[in-house]
Amino acid sequence: MEYKQKNDKALVDMIDIHKYFGSVQVLRGIDFHVDRQEIVGLLGDNGAGKSTLIKVLTGYHSLTRGQIYFDDEAVNIHSPHDARELGIETVHQDLALVPLMSIARNFWLGQEPTYEVGPFRFLDKKKMASESIRALADVGIHIRDSEETVGNMSGGERQSVAIGRAVYFGKKLLILDEPTSALSVGETQKVLDYTIAAKEKGMSVIFITHNIRHVYEVADRFTIIERGHKLGDFHKSEVTENEVADMIVTGQIPERLRLYHGENGEVA
Amino acid sequence: MMQAYIEGKREASTIGSLVTFLAFLFGILGIAIAYGTAFGWIPLGDRAQILRSDVNTIEIIVTVISLVYAACCLRTAYGLYTREQASLRWSQWMMFISVMIGGAILLSVAIPVGLKFSLLLGQVADLRTLISQDAGGLAALSLSIGEGLISICLFIIALLALLALLVFLIPPLEPLRDQPGTRWIVSPPRKFIQAILTVLGIGVICFLVAGAAVVPDYPGQTTIRDAENHRLLAGLLFFLPAFFAYRVVRRVEEQSDELRRALALTPGKFIRAELAKSPSAGAIIGFVAILMGFTMATDLFLEPSSVASFLSNVATKGVIAIGVTYLMISGEFDLSVGSILGVTALSFMNFMTHGAPVFGVVGPIPAALLAIFIAFILGAINGVLLISTRIPSFIVTLGTMLAFRAITLVAIAGGRILRYSDHHEALPVIGISNIVFIVLAIIGLAIVAFTAYRVLPVLYRGAMQAWSIRTDNGDFGTSGAILRGLALLLVLLLLLAIVVWLAAVLSYHGSASGGQIVEVGYFDLFNGRVLAIGEEGDFFHLQIPRNANVRLAIVWWFIFVVIFHIVLTSTSFGNSIFATGGNEGAARAQGVNVDRVKLQNFVIVALLTGIAAIYETARNPGVDPLKGTGWELEVIAMTVIGGALLTGGYGSVVGSLLGALIFGMLQTGLVLVGIESRLFSGTIGVIIIAAVVLNTLVRGARQN
Repeated sequence: MEYKQKNDKALVDMIDIHKYFGSVQVLRGIDFHVDRQEIVGLLGDNGAGKSTLIKVLTGYHSLTRGQIYFDDEAVNIHSPHDARELGIETVHQDLALVPLMSIARNFWLGQEPTYEVGPFRFLDKKKMASESIRALADVGIHIRDSEETVGNMSGGERQSVAIGRAVYFGKKLLILDEPTSALSVGETQKVLDYTIAAKEKGMSVIFITHNIRHVYEVADRFTIIERGHKLGDFHKSEVTENEVADMIVTGQIPERLRLYHGENGEVA
Repeated sequence: MMQAYIEGKREASTIGSLVTFLAFLFGILGIAIAYGTAFGWIPLGDRAQILRSDVNTIEIIVTVISLVYAACCLRTAYGLYTREQASLRWSQWMMFISVMIGGAILLSVAIPVGLKFSLLLGQVADLRTLISQDAGGLAALSLSIGEGLISICLFIIALLALLALLVFLIPPLEPLRDQPGTRWIVSPPRKFIQAILTVLGIGVICFLVAGAAVVPDYPGQTTIRDAENHRLLAGLLFFLPAFFAYRVVRRVEEQSDELRRALALTPGKFIRAELAKSPSAGAIIGFVAILMGFTMATDLFLEPSSVASFLSNVATKGVIAIGVTYLMISGEFDLSVGSILGVTALSFMNFMTHGAPVFGVVGPIPAALLAIFIAFILGAINGVLLISTRIPSFIVTLGTMLAFRAITLVAIAGGRILRYSDHHEALPVIGISNIVFIVLAIIGLAIVAFTAYRVLPVLYRGAMQAWSIRTDNGDFGTSGAILRGLALLLVLLLLLAIVVWLAAVLSYHGSASGGQIVEVGYFDLFNGRVLAIGEEGDFFHLQIPRNANVRLAIVWWFIFVVIFHIVLTSTSFGNSIFATGGNEGAARAQGVNVDRVKLQNFVIVALLTGIAAIYETARNPGVDPLKGTGWELEVIAMTVIGGALLTGGYGSVVGSLLGALIFGMLQTGLVLVGIESRLFSGTIGVIIIAAVVLNTLVRGARQN
């Protein structure tokens, strides 16, 4: 019962989501929700449909069937711009930053601060530099020079800047798509710290990964997807790290948990 | 060593005093050279040139540089004498400048001598065919050919010496250089090559001049001027001591942590860092090298008429290059600009002679606007095709290049030339009311006021700040503050001068006597010859030499460069152009409308091409079916030399300006030097590759 109540107050509620690419059914009726100030680990093996689900939510793909509620309102998200208007910020795995541009310019890309001179609008470069340094410092990323090109930075630093930007601009929901897949152990830990910082700022976080070790520590709840179906939602208190890892690999819910998740438990 | 001297240590006093004395000596030398050049004692050019005007640009430049140099040297000597820390910075810069001046003077000997040797070779080869009929002279001749070959090799080595000097400017190639212990393992190759090339270059230059004795054996063909022999000594005098002093100080400073921190920004590092910040580093280096090379190779190069000629030649292409730079930064390019130029020029001419579809025969300005509108449509076709089909822009614009070309080929049947003069007797004239000048002057005053409001407080604060912290901290110290103050004064004076000039224009056209209608040719307005600036008798009056072909399009070009540079670097539109080319996915994910940016850029290119077409037709009122053929690749070459990446995401408008200038300088310079203009395309090919390699090196160094 307690579970149901929470669901009514969910920040994002995606109901019966279907997505077909031609005749290929990628998502076959998934229900997915994120509560306020919650870190959800969206898990599944490669090709399970995690990224597609998120791209539907962020407006990259259109829905075939289904309904999305955001902030208790039914919404139609047609473009990344729409998603951003709603307060959803995404850090994509491969398309986060422009390597040949400076940190400040990357940070403000698409929503640059400007000042007006008559009918013309010019970039407010001072604000771009100082604000980006300050905002990144807020989430624990310290950069030397905002004019440095992103191409000079390591993979971890780049990911940090991308996440820092998303935390700064994101109002409600932060989506991290495989943020740790190319990072070292130390850098992964940093990304997890930023995730917690985002939660403390009042945001909800969806953390997509196929590696449970990267997310178990920080996530409140795990949603496991298996070939276009949802395997189930599991609170951290219910499952152990190994059980989740097993579920991702085998696509089977352990005997112990089927009692609670019987209706979702059938496996293809 | 110098540090020890400044701290007053006894063991360093001899060398310290010596360096102080040297600095003083160099200062005196600088003044002497400035004096000698200004009063014609040291002839730096040939005095008997037909085209030579009384004002010798090279000599003026040398005089100014020598004076600045002398000031640097004397400041150093004074600083060392009073044991100031700041003098270390000064001494470094002084030595650096000495090396540069010495190298330049040496090159000014090497380049003409080398050129003459290669020309001699050409003539000797001709001679052989001549004399081969006469068997008697064969033996003597084969020797000469061998000498010619050697001289060519020597010339190439001399060019390598030029390269060695440029190596000073190129950032260090090895990233591990600063790590302790690895310094001598990693860095010697570059230093070694640099040293070898430099020494080799100097040796070769000496040898070349010594070998110049061979030349008089072919009387009437080439001669070595005395001036070159005289310059050699001065060049070596500057170059060698300063070069070794510079190296010694570098070594000393590398050994002391404290000193290294104090002198973190050596002249070389400073210039490299500044260069690495710019996308067009290759173009800047190339521009300076080519400018210096031609200036030294021929006295005619910096004559106002030559400069005007090459500027006028590339101004129209330069305007197109701005647009192509935008497009290339956003990751696309346009092969159809040549054809768009042809169609626009044809429309412009046709609307004035045969009439536009709806409006009938129209005057030049409506015709120009309509023609530019047609260019707009053609650009939009390119953009829409690209966006809707997702075909690579190479293919799309290759197709439209051929398709648009068909328009001019069909419209002007049989290879005729459509001339304005065939339909109208006189060129069109417009009467400009004095109100236009008043309005323009007021706009100018507003711009000046705004610039003053933005720039002066910043400069003032900078100068004040430098003055308040002018402690002797190993930086330039007091001198830096004084320099900033001087810069402030200079800007202030410049702005004041413009204000006074505009006020004069305002009062002249505002008064009843001066305010009559001024008649101007329409075509002159687009791209006419500028004969004088200001009214006769004005303080700012400047009479442009009769033989100088200064075209108004140059002014338009520079205005466009400034506007488009500001748009690219300081607006969100510019930012989204960079993002679109740099990482399309990231740009889209951040809400940039990538397709719209690309479409806009295609339209911008087409509009600028249209404007360039108007300039071309205004300069020479006639259109042939093949107008603009081949321009697309030349314009892309300018852009690439200017540092734009073919893959997108990187480049600058100023780079395209430099690229176009390099193009123009080569076109004019090669003719003036006496090399056949047929070699132009070969030279430009080499330059393109060299510039791109330089750009890549600089970018690579920036990323390490």
